[in-house]
Amino acid sequence: MKTGGPKISAAAALLVTAGLGAAVLSERWFEDITVKAGVAMKHTNRVFENPYAHIMAGYTALGASVAVADYDGDGFDDMFVTDSSASGKNHLYHNNGNLTFTDVGEAAGVANGNDPKNASADSLWFDFNNDGRPDLFVARFGQNQLFENLGSGKFKEVTIAAGLKRYMNSITAIAFDYDRDGYADLFAGNYFQPVDLFNPATPRFFPESFETANNGGGVTVFRNNGNSTFTDVSLKVGIKISGWTLDLGHGDLDNDGDEDLYVAADFGTDRLFANNGDGTFTDKTESTLGIDTKKGMNVDIADFDNDGMLDIYVTNITDDYMREGNFLWHNDGNMAFSDVARETGTYDTGWGWGAKFFDYDNDGWLDLYVMNGWVSAGKDSYVPDIFAMVIKPGLDFADARNWPPMGSKSLSGYQKKRLFHNERGQIFKDQAARHGLDSTRDGRGMGVADFDNDGRLDIFVANANGEPYLYRNTIPTAARWVSFLLEGTKSNRGAIGTQLRLTSGGKTHLRYVSGGNSFAGQSSARVHFGLADTAAIDKVEIRWPSGATQTLAGITADKIYKVVEGDSKKAVLTAKASRK
Amino acid sequence: MKKLIGCLAIAGLAAGAAVAASGEADYQAGMKALASKDFSNALGRLEAALAAEPDSIRFGSEYRQAVIQAKEYDRCIKFFEKLTADSPAASNGFLNYGFAYVDKIPASGAITQVILANTALSFFTKSIDIKPSWIALYTRGNSYLYWPKIFGRAHLGVADLEKAMAMQKSQGGKKSYHSRAFVSLGDGYWKMENIEKAKATWKEGLALFPDHSGLKARLSKDGDDLKSYIDDVLDPNKRVDTNLIEIWTN
Repeated sequence: MKTGGPKISAAAALLVTAGLGAAVLSERWFEDITVKAGVAMKHTNRVFENPYAHIMAGYTALGASVAVADYDGDGFDDMFVTDSSASGKNHLYHNNGNLTFTDVGEAAGVANGNDPKNASADSLWFDFNNDGRPDLFVARFGQNQLFENLGSGKFKEVTIAAGLKRYMNSITAIAFDYDRDGYADLFAGNYFQPVDLFNPATPRFFPESFETANNGGGVTVFRNNGNSTFTDVSLKVGIKISGWTLDLGHGDLDNDGDEDLYVAADFGTDRLFANNGDGTFTDKTESTLGIDTKKGMNVDIADFDNDGMLDIYVTNITDDYMREGNFLWHNDGNMAFSDVARETGTYDTGWGWGAKFFDYDNDGWLDLYVMNGWVSAGKDSYVPDIFAMVIKPGLDFADARNWPPMGSKSLSGYQKKRLFHNERGQIFKDQAARHGLDSTRDGRGMGVADFDNDGRLDIFVANANGEPYLYRNTIPTAARWVSFLLEGTKSNRGAIGTQLRLTSGGKTHLRYVSGGNSFAGQSSARVHFGLADTAAIDKVEIRWPSGATQTLAGITADKIYKVVEGDSKKAVLTAKASRK
Repeated sequence: MKKLIGCLAIAGLAAGAAVAASGEADYQAGMKALASKDFSNALGRLEAALAAEPDSIRFGSEYRQAVIQAKEYDRCIKFFEKLTADSPAASNGFLNYGFAYVDKIPASGAITQVILANTALSFFTKSIDIKPSWIALYTRGNSYLYWPKIFGRAHLGVADLEKAMAMQKSQGGKKSYHSRAFVSLGDGYWKMENIEKAKATWKEGLALFPDHSGLKARLSKDGDDLKSYIDDVLDPNKRVDTNLIEIWTN
């Protein structure tokens, strides 16, 4: 339910009148520009070569990811996109400023994320050394990589020097400054336990249970020491878990000024850790969410109903044979949450993966895009095979040899992605088909950014074993917007965790700088507000991770502002910020 | 020797009568405790009643309803495991054993639900093997319908439900629970994509039970509406009403 409703352009209206079938075009607000933008390189799953490879193939259709950042500071968001095959190169797509991209991965020194002993799984930009340049972390099955951004388009691998070289089998990573010392810390979510997956010494490295597995890789917390090194402080800070982590999300869920942590776990219980404000966390799962047995795949955190509190969206598996349903945890305040997925229509998307809140029509309400589907292959289904295993009494699930190979069968394949339009925080309505965003490739992650700085949020979709999509947002409504790029001074320079409360037309909207929330996808660091038809912005209140607050006045719509912590001046980003 | 056996047999009968009497007493005491939410006492007394009469459909059903209130699913499963081991000819003991697994399904995760449902089927089968009663055939047939299409079990459900239907027709007389067979058999045909046969079965049922809301609802819907209605009815996350009170009150 958009304020003012969509306004079809005069040209489109003429075409409709002329009966040229343009009604469909005018209704479609996203254009697939993947090929012409030069970002169509296919992702390929890793093919393992070990005695369990034929079994592992069914459970490792992962690694398609995208991470967005303006790595060269030219005012246009760029993308890092992973491949996973042994010979596959990762791509650093430099944004040319005209909705075309150039793969500069090799020249930049970040393309080699795959080899016989490592497979890229996810990626994350974060400025670990506070030099103002986003650095790059690549999460891998095997050992992770950290690349320092040297400027001038060059990167240097500093994994060993940073103290990060070890077997982790990471599948996700986020960054935020949990101890508010001014440096972004690194949180790695690990799927398998830290064994050599490429040459396993034992066959017992699969999940021991479908619902309560605790033999996964858990979460590793690396504290940023402030001198370009990291220390594993997982136990010290109270994060002691060994589930099959698939995604991590951070946000100040209790509005106490520090960042809390949600852990989505496959084959077991998701965890919610409250930040105690003293550099430690407390596991609040039982008192806040309860113990679930679902297959947590994604965490995104945002205030979907504009009530000033951050809510959590988690995807699980929902299909004919397994009706788990997704979670939409509504924040009721005081660290109490209610699952409103059924009521809001976001419960059943299929076999869910990455999901992201963003306001695609700039109406002031955060919409939600959800990736779905596991393996789309032959017409035969793998479901009977897996359940034939499940019902065998006393079977050791941890032993990979007991799992049936998937072969050329499909499992929850060919599932459509969902684009949920937020109807004033009450219910979501799927608009994916209308906008051509309902592809059935096996979606994993997405990156949302305004790649052409026109105030409309575009989407890059990473598909496993398939070509990606880049969708340009062409929304024809005249809805207003404003974006902010933030830079911390006392706070971490990337300003991760900074909250903005924008008041306009008597309404206040909360957004914050995310350090990589959402499975296999990192979206732009810019904080974007849709303003509907309201051009006047009363004020913008900023709460930095350092605790400092700042109020901006004189902000006008349809601009991208850069704001530095403690500096009362604000600058309009020099890049073209006008609608083409 | 013959005399001794005869004496023992008489003694056994007498003991059985005494046990049967104590079964009813324990049952009554158990139900009284349940009414006052004294679950520990209620479950204990109902278990004692069932131990005395392992084939009692009534004791078994009431015990399970108490278990659902007390959320003591594992205790219930353990109890029936022992009961059926001790009384391997108790057809209704196995039926209730299967239901004990069904009762636990809504409290379990999606994969465990499958394991529980499959285990329940094995005990329903055991019950049918011992005595192919209407209730056992109906129960197993209806259970098959909860399985997603991909498992290809709907035809097994239809086969059981057709037998139950034939049984209720041949027995004559109209029992309120007979309406269930019309509902489920129609659902089975629907699951096998035989819409005509499904509607005919529901219509036949509605002719006999003109106030039946489930039959009316099915007959008033088509296509996706009907699908979502039946999907909702067969949602494994919803608790199935396994109270068998209709059996002994009709």
